[in-house]
Amino acid sequence: MMNFLWAGMIIISIISSLSIGDGDGIINAMTQGALDSVTLIIQLAGSYMLWMGLVNIAKEAGLMEKLANIMKKPLSKLFPDSRSAVAPITLNLTANFLGISSAATPFGLEAIQELQKSNIDKTTASDDMCMFICLNASAIELLPTTVMSLRAASGSNQPQSIILPVFVSSIASFLCAMILCKVLRKR
Amino acid sequence: MSYFLPILIALLIIYALIKKVNVYSAFVRGAGNALPVLKEITPLICAIMISLSLLRSSGALEIITNILSPLLNTLGIDKEIAPLFILRPFSGSASLALLSDIFSHYGVDTFIGFLSSIMMGSTETIFYTIALYFGAAGIKKTRYAVPVALISSIVGVYVAVIVAKYLFYK
Repeated sequence: MMNFLWAGMIIISIISSLSIGDGDGIINAMTQGALDSVTLIIQLAGSYMLWMGLVNIAKEAGLMEKLANIMKKPLSKLFPDSRSAVAPITLNLTANFLGISSAATPFGLEAIQELQKSNIDKTTASDDMCMFICLNASAIELLPTTVMSLRAASGSNQPQSIILPVFVSSIASFLCAMILCKVLRKR
Repeated sequence: MSYFLPILIALLIIYALIKKVNVYSAFVRGAGNALPVLKEITPLICAIMISLSLLRSSGALEIITNILSPLLNTLGIDKEIAPLFILRPFSGSASLALLSDIFSHYGVDTFIGFLSSIMMGSTETIFYTIALYFGAAGIKKTRYAVPVALISSIVGVYVAVIVAKYLFYK
């Protein structure tokens, strides 16, 4: 999908530039974009390391498991057909909650494998799978680490002011996904 | 609100010390984990920044946002954020690059900067997530997963707009 999006963006821009007779601008804009990406990464690196460092302290102090233990019981109600998948699902959602998406993905992959074990038709998504994917797609974030880092790098006075609104709106989409999946279940 | 994070960080470090964690090396290890992620997203960000810069300089971005603005107006979303609304479900690094582009054009502490930050933080790369997980399990028929994920994302965006307006103009 990104393939067509990216190609489309480049081709449309080149055609549009040429039609207004701005041929030189094309290469200038491309070089400028490449240059901007390096500036962005360097600015981002500092605060990203800060947050990843702090979150890792929480992880090594066992807070992630602790949080996962609290969430296990209510979550197991949402996945009645696949008990064994609840543990990786909980860890996946907890990692998302703390803003470490790189840690969330391996747990998520483990979860989907476990869900597949209790799936009857192996090429069709089970109800539990849909629930997992939809909850994951609207994951609640307590610390939107990447966005906060980018805001700090862009010179915001209050990079952390988005924590509460992000929390509220992700809870709304999480609840919506949960309710819709419950309603659409077969039984 | 400005005390929330500092207190959280202090409590976290005290708790970790009680749990006999070497806080210093835990921090260093975590910060080190950020580097491979940054290395991985650099070429992705570069590719997107090139196409974005090109879209903007050619005037094509303006045409696209103008076409989409009536649709987004009904959701109460400013047309400057329209590209983020479209790109966000597909790619995290692309939308991060776009967010940075929005910050440098409209400012980070403006309403547009605030709302786009919230939208970015509270939504996920749903198409990427769905493709990754269902692909890993070999699922072909995804049933209601895609519409439900899309609807709940839009609900999230809608709530984000309301909350952002309330907090920004209160």
